[in-house]
Amino acid sequence: MALLEVDDLRTYFKTRAGEVHAVDGVSIAVERGKTLGIVGESGCGKSVTALSIMGLLPPSGRIVSGSIRFDGRELTRMSQRELEDIRGRQIAMIFQDPMTSLNPTLRIGTQIMETMQRHLDVSRDEARKRAIDLLEEVHIPNARQRLDDYPHRYSGGMRQRVMIAIALSCNPRLLIADEPTTALDVTVQAGILDLLEELREEHEMSMIIITHDMGVVAEAADDIAVMYAGQIVEQTSAEELFDHPEHPYTEALLGALPQLEGEGVRRGRLTAIPGRPPDLLDPPTACRFAPRCPYASFDDSCAKEPPELREIRPGHLVRTAHPASERAARPVEAAVR
Amino acid sequence: MVVNPEEVEFRSRLVEREAGGETYAAGAAIRQASLWRDAVRRFTHNKAAVVSMVGFVVLLLYVVIVPWVSPYDPNNVDFSLAYQNPSLHHPFGTDEFGRDLFVRVALGGRISIGIGFAATFALMIVGILYGAISGFVGGWLDNALMRFLDALYGLPYLPFAIITLAIFGVVNFWTMVVALTVASWFTTARVMRGQIITLKENDYVRAARAIGARWYRILFRHLLPNTLGVAIVFVFLELPNVVLGEAFLSFLGLGINPPNASWGSLAQDGYSQYLSHPYLIVIPSIAIAWLILTAFFIADGLRDALDPRTTEHV
Amino acid sequence: MLKFVVRRVLWTIPIILLVIFMTFWMMRAIKGSPFRKSERAVPPAVLANLNRKFGLNKPWYVQYERYVVDVAKADLGPSLVLRNQSVNDIVKEHFPVSAELGGLAMLLSMLVGIPLGIISALRVNRLPDYIAQFISNLGFAIPSFFTATLLIYFFAAKWGFFPTNGWDTASSKVLPVIALALFPLTYFARLVRGQMLETLQQDYVRTAKAKGLRWRRVVVVHVLRNSLIPALTAAGPILGGLVTGSFIIENIFAIPGIGRYYVTSVQGRDYSTVMGITVLLSILIIVANMFVDIMYGILDPRTREARS
Repeated sequence: MALLEVDDLRTYFKTRAGEVHAVDGVSIAVERGKTLGIVGESGCGKSVTALSIMGLLPPSGRIVSGSIRFDGRELTRMSQRELEDIRGRQIAMIFQDPMTSLNPTLRIGTQIMETMQRHLDVSRDEARKRAIDLLEEVHIPNARQRLDDYPHRYSGGMRQRVMIAIALSCNPRLLIADEPTTALDVTVQAGILDLLEELREEHEMSMIIITHDMGVVAEAADDIAVMYAGQIVEQTSAEELFDHPEHPYTEALLGALPQLEGEGVRRGRLTAIPGRPPDLLDPPTACRFAPRCPYASFDDSCAKEPPELREIRPGHLVRTAHPASERAARPVEAAVR
Repeated sequence: MVVNPEEVEFRSRLVEREAGGETYAAGAAIRQASLWRDAVRRFTHNKAAVVSMVGFVVLLLYVVIVPWVSPYDPNNVDFSLAYQNPSLHHPFGTDEFGRDLFVRVALGGRISIGIGFAATFALMIVGILYGAISGFVGGWLDNALMRFLDALYGLPYLPFAIITLAIFGVVNFWTMVVALTVASWFTTARVMRGQIITLKENDYVRAARAIGARWYRILFRHLLPNTLGVAIVFVFLELPNVVLGEAFLSFLGLGINPPNASWGSLAQDGYSQYLSHPYLIVIPSIAIAWLILTAFFIADGLRDALDPRTTEHV
Repeated sequence: MLKFVVRRVLWTIPIILLVIFMTFWMMRAIKGSPFRKSERAVPPAVLANLNRKFGLNKPWYVQYERYVVDVAKADLGPSLVLRNQSVNDIVKEHFPVSAELGGLAMLLSMLVGIPLGIISALRVNRLPDYIAQFISNLGFAIPSFFTATLLIYFFAAKWGFFPTNGWDTASSKVLPVIALALFPLTYFARLVRGQMLETLQQDYVRTAKAKGLRWRRVVVVHVLRNSLIPALTAAGPILGGLVTGSFIIENIFAIPGIGRYYVTSVQGRDYSTVMGITVLLSILIIVANMFVDIMYGILDPRTREARS
């Protein structure tokens, strides 16, 4: 049994204009000790999936159906109080913007220690000592002094490390990292990813990394799920995904990667994906990617009926009518210029 | 034009491909309706704002129409009719001189609301001037002016209004307007200056400049439409304060001289009779409260409607 | 840190000078010399005394300087009307009354208004919020002379729980304080509600929840602290509102405070008193603003450390 199993999750948001189907039938699983990467563009529902797992949806959002099982326990049936016991202790989460994710009026030490004091039976001194250890683990120099600093004394990269330290403080089984490097400089990003991997191994955690950047999951993930418009469109191991992508969207995402050397060196321009994702207020009844798909044409089946998520190879799921391995035709050329 | 994928024909899909993408958050597409239409729609969905708008208009109609239409002379003294309770003939009753209160309150409303609007506009102009000078000149002048306002924020306006009226010697419509403006400009100039700074620093102004747009184009296409919205909200926010200020001054006996009466002076007249004829003070007070409440909710609704970024409470 | 405080205090001085200047000019503008045109005949001896005191035969800047020096010495000059009393005496007699009234009203408005705002924010858009908002709206829309009248009508005149006026017994203080507190109360409530709603949206609150902290702790430690401190910055306008309100309340309840005396002074053409009280009240508010600024600087660690 996997550590985390999400089964046909649907999370909708109430807005003035109607109900937005942010997550529309997502199923993922995270094995013990493995990292799952969830990739997709802004608005595809990846963050909402994470928030649903944590029970941190804003008041306008709710889980309409589906199940989320962590270590066999059903999270969707739990009250907030029960979830509070799990958050920070069993499942921890770090967020995208380290600059705003820490309370500016509390000392760093306090913010690290309060998690431990909440979940673990430790004295103040023990908590303090452990906090210093944690800061050292995430490579913050001068940990003892810096413990009493306020967040504004830390740079973005350092704050994200603090967030990681906080997340690890109670030795969670699962760490969810929502766009952990997006708000950071490129030079700092690699360091954070390395740190995450290092800590994951040491603490024997499982991890979910959410990102829009294929480069990030290439490094970090064991398995990858590609999301589009609230649904999973491709799901398999990282190796398999990069070697044999099936979904046109995945291919496009990979094509948008700059590659300077090695096997797939691309000459010429990066391919942008034209068009925009569909309106999730009223999701289309056909394939959601079809309008932007270079392989779909007007009278295809996918223009009328949504394709199901099917196992095209063992361990490789895809939701499209035009998977790469079954594709005969060449891309439809734009007839209108 | 709303992007509705149901409508997407595959021919138009190709055109869309060229148009490039526009991302969104949380799965909701950005409606591309015009700013105003959107604002109007948001406003009309706000029940409190709509009800208040109706109430406000009703009040305006009341003060404008009733004095024209009323068969009673507001200044006609007839002691035989004095102190009548509200009835069909006199919906608001009569005062100690037998004058019909229904028409007197309407006339009082003309004065109170008139002063309110006049002073509010004056405040707006002062504020804009102050903010414009401060914002556009910038540098140490801006800093000094800002500190100046900060320190004077919240100075009690009654004393200054009273002194200004004493300087004029006579209290009429216009001296009252000036007095209230002089007394409250500290607080409001600060608000306006903040708005101007925000607008000036706004990214789209920078962008416009970056593409070499002329200053008048920036002014008319970018700054003014936004400022208009802010200005309208401001009017409805300040109006209650000014009207209340005038009412207080009148209540203290320092207001408009008789026979012209504002709501405040009507309340003052009525106050002495609060035990025997409470309606004399109740009615002008309710009129004031009505104005303040409706103006407030309209301002709230407008603010929500014009700034889509304010928190959604769904 | 010290530098910040000192700088802030020093800034206050030119501001106060400016306010005195403005008041001074306004007073001069009131029909030229306040003495010659006044309705009361001022005896020549007093007139000479006043002229000398105010230096009215000297150019205006000398007069101004004299006045400033006097204010600095806390000497507000003689009253124009009450021959044997100086403005200082008047202030000493009446100001404590207003201070007590204002202080109690401020206390009451905070004790009720702040919790009201907190409850509103935590139960936003539900019944408690609607009720609190309703009270809030009524409080700021209904003019205070009306609420005062209502209170007197029911609680004093009809049911006789409290006296209708005066400021001597404890029970005579109840109604005026309530009447005066109502407006600041609604101000606090709305302010706190707004601040809290904004704070609740912040990322760090989400982080706190993600840590599994108990909701109570999240609210008290993370939300309240960061909401109430900015609410402090409203102290200036609230104080100004109290002054304004006190004029009305003292008038209605016949309380011998400085607000009521101000009005009588204006009506009685006692301009030096008017000026003295205006200057006093202005200085009060300016100093209060200064304190709040300093407090805010101390409490917010960002400013605390940055300004060194």
